[in-house]
Amino acid sequence: MIRFVGLSKSFGSKSVLDGVDVSIGKGEVFFIIGQSGVGKSVLIKHLIGLLRPDRGEIYLDDQEISRLTERQYFAVRRRCGMVFQHSTLFDSLTCIENVALPIRKHKHLGKKKALVEARKRLEQVHMEEFAETFPAALGDGMRKRVAIARTLTMDPEFVLFDEPTTGLDPVSARRVDVLIRELADRLHVTCVVVSHDLTSIFSIADRIVMLYKGKVRLLGTRDEFRRSADPVVRQFITGSAEGPME
Amino acid sequence: MTESLVQLEVAGKQPGRVSRGAERAVRRIGRSVVGIAQQTGGILVLLGKIVRRFFPPDIDYYELKRNLHKMGNRSLPIIALTSVFVGAIMVVQASAYVQQFSATAFVGWGAGYVILRELGPILIALMFSGRVGANNTAELGTMVVTEQIDGLRSLAIDPISYLIVPRFLGMITMLFVLTVFGNLVALCGAALFGQLTLGIEWRVFFHGITELLKPWDVYVGLIKSLVFGLIIALSSCYFGLAVRGGAPGVGRAVNASVVASAVGIFVSDYFMTFLLD
Repeated sequence: MIRFVGLSKSFGSKSVLDGVDVSIGKGEVFFIIGQSGVGKSVLIKHLIGLLRPDRGEIYLDDQEISRLTERQYFAVRRRCGMVFQHSTLFDSLTCIENVALPIRKHKHLGKKKALVEARKRLEQVHMEEFAETFPAALGDGMRKRVAIARTLTMDPEFVLFDEPTTGLDPVSARRVDVLIRELADRLHVTCVVVSHDLTSIFSIADRIVMLYKGKVRLLGTRDEFRRSADPVVRQFITGSAEGPME
Repeated sequence: MTESLVQLEVAGKQPGRVSRGAERAVRRIGRSVVGIAQQTGGILVLLGKIVRRFFPPDIDYYELKRNLHKMGNRSLPIIALTSVFVGAIMVVQASAYVQQFSATAFVGWGAGYVILRELGPILIALMFSGRVGANNTAELGTMVVTEQIDGLRSLAIDPISYLIVPRFLGMITMLFVLTVFGNLVALCGAALFGQLTLGIEWRVFFHGITELLKPWDVYVGLIKSLVFGLIIALSSCYFGLAVRGGAPGVGRAVNASVVASAVGIFVSDYFMTFLLD
């Protein structure tokens, strides 16, 4: 279980998160939504220690983790994988070498055995034929699938997805949705997804939190969101230019 | 009346102008001093982090091998080309005096002394900084702005031991090796041009080196190359990791890294010349 308690974060004079309280249950597909710049990515980066809060606590299965050192965070990061918005594959390595890297480092396998294991992981995301290709030669959707394979090599209990379908064509985006749903249903992995993609949100989310002006605006199921009369939520769902959102 | 007004005006304005100008100058100097102190502090902190990775050793040997190849093997042609001409220039510059005083027996010693102790290490280090150091800063800077460093951290992989330590070791090792190689090529270049322009036989040229130079003259240059390697490695890694502000930030970091390395090379060379004499 993940819990953010009274989490606040500012960058200079700009307050991004202002006392956010959110709990995420095990095995859930949990979406974090809101306008651009509202602090969705900032919130999930706190969980794996890429950012540190100004105030508040973060609990991972009842362990308070926000004050851990960089080295102590390594244990948390092995449990919580993250797929970044821009994939963050290493340009100097081929796809298979990218996937083999965490295997080599964490499972202490030799290069050859790590590559064999990496190929299996690429097969899981249907990218085995691009194993020897460098990431720069691939499209966004393909890079994202390789990044997902790389994250899954650590067999994480929690996977954080930062805008996984942004920039993808509708077919690739739905494939990513299916992959996320399967992770939760088959492997009982908790998936925390930052997204603006309403199709994804309303097709695979178990619960959704909407952030607005640094605070939680609404937390609930898909149906609760659909039925919400909150004008801010309504404007986000309808995508209307007119409304209370700034 | 007019005169006194002018005097008043001058008296009233000049102190203000001077004080504002002085204030601006003091601020600028202060900012520069604080900036240099911050960068020096940052470089020392990075050195501390690198040193900590050796106890116990936490080094990615695949990355180390890859970096040694990339930094060393691929630098050979440019170092060889530069070194040949360094040797040639030595002979060309000396040729007028050598002919005037019939001092052909001393050409090998003169060229060897200057190349091995001073010119070889410093010029090869500057070439290495421009080629390998700048490339390293750009690569690390790009990794910062594209979140690849955060990607590594999210995979529970320590960027210092995976990325920085192999580059640090690679640069120090390969600059040392390239300096040995470059010195030999420069001496061969000097011998070749000595024969072509002054008719000095190879045997006479190398006799001057082996008989008149001391082993310490060779060691001084090699010690310098290790220090220069350390400076280039630290400065290029520090400025690469400190990149802020997207692509323009990467450009600024590369510029700062090359300048800092060059300054560091010349300043350290000055002190080492005294200390190692």
